[in-house]
Amino acid sequence: MTFIRLVMLTLVPYVLAGQGTMLAGRAGVFNVAQEGIMLTGASVGFLGAYLSGGNLLDGMLLAMVVGGLFGLVLAAFTTTLKMDQFVVGLSLFFIGLALSTLLYRLAVGVTLTPPLIPTLRDIPVPGLSRLPVLGEVFFRHNALVYAAVVLSAVLYLLLYHTAPGLALQAVGENPMAADSLGINVAVMRYATTVAGSMLIGLAGAYLPMVYTATFTDGIVRGRGWLSIALTFFGGWSPHLILLGALFFAAVEVLAFRVQVTGVGVPYQLILMLPYLATMAVMMPTFRRLRVPAFLGRNYDRERRLQV
Amino acid sequence: MNTRRHLPPAGDAVPYLAAVAVAFGAAGIFLAALGFDVVRAYSTILLTSFRTANGVIQTLLKFVPVLLLALAFTVPLAAWKFNIGGEGQLIAGAVGSAAAGILLAGLPAAAILPAVVVAGVGAGALWAALPAWLLYRFGVSEILTTVLMNFVSFGVMDYVATEGWPDTAAGHPTTIPIAPAARLPLLVASPPLHAGILLALGAAGAVAVFVYRTAAGYELRATGANARAAMLHGIPVGRIAPLALVLGGALAGLAGAIEVAGVHHRLIEGVQSNYLLLSILVGLLARGNLVAVPPVAFAIAVLDVGARAMQRTMMIPVEVVFVVEGLVLVFVLLSDVVRRR
Repeated sequence: MTFIRLVMLTLVPYVLAGQGTMLAGRAGVFNVAQEGIMLTGASVGFLGAYLSGGNLLDGMLLAMVVGGLFGLVLAAFTTTLKMDQFVVGLSLFFIGLALSTLLYRLAVGVTLTPPLIPTLRDIPVPGLSRLPVLGEVFFRHNALVYAAVVLSAVLYLLLYHTAPGLALQAVGENPMAADSLGINVAVMRYATTVAGSMLIGLAGAYLPMVYTATFTDGIVRGRGWLSIALTFFGGWSPHLILLGALFFAAVEVLAFRVQVTGVGVPYQLILMLPYLATMAVMMPTFRRLRVPAFLGRNYDRERRLQV
Repeated sequence: MNTRRHLPPAGDAVPYLAAVAVAFGAAGIFLAALGFDVVRAYSTILLTSFRTANGVIQTLLKFVPVLLLALAFTVPLAAWKFNIGGEGQLIAGAVGSAAAGILLAGLPAAAILPAVVVAGVGAGALWAALPAWLLYRFGVSEILTTVLMNFVSFGVMDYVATEGWPDTAAGHPTTIPIAPAARLPLLVASPPLHAGILLALGAAGAVAVFVYRTAAGYELRATGANARAAMLHGIPVGRIAPLALVLGGALAGLAGAIEVAGVHHRLIEGVQSNYLLLSILVGLLARGNLVAVPPVAFAIAVLDVGARAMQRTMMIPVEVVFVVEGLVLVFVLLSDVVRRR
C-alpha cells in the first residue's frame, strides 16, 4: 500500500509537465524545452521559498511566472516570428539549464551545507482520510497531488466538452480550417504555450519541495524529457497522460525500492530502468499513437499551401 | 512537412557580431549591477586562452571534444534529425576505448592504438544505432530516444568503473589505466598536447567532404531540406536519417576515445563534462554548416576556458557565460527573421 502512496507522490511532476506539454501540443506547438524549464522552475521555486523565509507558495508562484516567461518566448519566436520549434526549444533548454544554476549560485553562493526549505506538508482530506487503507493511500497527500489529479480532470472536460477545447483541438489538427472558422490560431498558441510552460515550471518547483528541500544541478534527472515521451504515450489526451504518469511514477518508485533493498541486481542497472522502460514501451506503441496532425509546425496564414 | 526545414546558411558577419555585442553588453550590465569588475571579467574570458602556453593547450584540448560532438549533432541535422545523445555516445566511446585499452594490454602500440580508437568509434556508433533503429523501424522520435540513451550510459559508465576494472585506490568511480602503448602520442611534451586534435580535424574535414561533395551527402542534405521531394526523386529517405544518426554517434564515440586515450588514460566518471550542451550550441550557431563548425567550436572553447579561469580568480559563476552564449544564439536566430523581411 505504501507503494501506491509513493506512486501518488511521484506522479506529480510527470502529470504537470505532461499536461503542460499536451496543452501547447494541442495547439501545434511542440515544446522541447521541458528539461530546461523544469530546472529553472526548481531553482527559482527553491529560491522564492528560501528568500521569503520558507513560504512554499511564493516559490511555486515564482516558478510558474518564470515558466510562463519561457513559454512566452517560445510562442513569440515560433508563432509570431515563425522560427523552427525544435531550434527555439533546444535554445531555451540550453538557457534554462544555465540560468537555473546561475541564479542559485548568485543567490546562495558557495556553501558547505546547502540551505534548506521546508517540504510540502500533507493535507488530509476531511472525512475521506479516515477511510481504512484508502484514506492513507489516496487522501493524505500534499496539495499538489490533489491539484495534479483535479487538473487532469478539468483539462479533460475542457478539451472534450467545451467550445474553446474543441477549437483548440481544431487548431492542432488543421489550423487552416480553424482559421477559416474564425478561431484565432495565434491567440490559442500563445495561451496554451504560456499556460503549459507555467505547469512545467511548477513541475520543477515540486522537486525541491518534496524530495530534497534544496536545489541541486541534477535534480530533474531527465524528467523533462520523459514527460515528452509520456505525452506521446498519452496520445496527447489529459486522461491518458494521467494514466501514463502512473506508469512512469511506478517505474521510478520501483527503481528506487530495488536500489534500496538490493536484490542482487547492480544498482546502476536499476537506475537505467525508467529510461529503458520508456524506450521499450515506445517501440510497439509509437506508430499507433494519435498525435495532433500539425504538431511541431508553424502556421503561416499568408502561405496558402502548407504541404 | 514544411517546404524548407534547414537553417539558413551562415551569412555575413554583421548579425553575429551584433548578437555577441548585445549579449555581452547585457550580461556586463548585469554583472556590474552585482558589483563585479566587468572589464577584468571579460578580459579574463577572452584572453586566458592566448596569454600562456598552458592556456593555449587547455583551449585546444577542450576544442577537440566540443568540435567532435558538434559534428555529431550537425551531421544528423543535415537530415533534420536532432541528435541530443552525443553525451551518451561519447560515454559509450570512452567505455569501449577503455575496455580495449585494458583488455589488449601487451599488444604493440601499432596494434593497440588503432584498436582503441576503432573500439571507441564503434561503441559510439552502436549507442546511436538503437535510436536509429527505433526511428527506422517504428518512427520513434530521435529527440526522445537519443537523450534517453544518455541516462542509460551513465549507468553503464558507473558499472564499468566500479565493477569492471575498478581502480580501488581512487576516491572517484574510475577504471585502472589503459596500457601505456594505447595512449595517443604527444605533439607537444609540456604542457602536454596529444595527437587527438589531428584526428578531430581530420574527421571534420572528412565529414565536410562527405556531406558536401559526395552523392550520399547530397542525398542526406536533400532529405533534410525536403523529405517528400527527396522521396519522390527516389532517395531512400527512410534509411538516410537513421544512418546519419549512426554517423553522428561514431563521431561522438571518437571524442570519447580521444578523451580516454589522450587525456585521462582511463575511464573516469564525468568524462562527458558539458560538451553536449556546448556542441548543440555550436551546431546551431554554425547554422548546421559543417565548414563553419570548427571555427565556432574553437570560439566556444576559448570562452569556456576563459569562463572557468574567471570563476577561479573572481568567483563569478561560470554559468554567466552559458547564459551569454544562449543569448547570442537567440539573437543570431532572430537575425534570420530580420533578414527574411
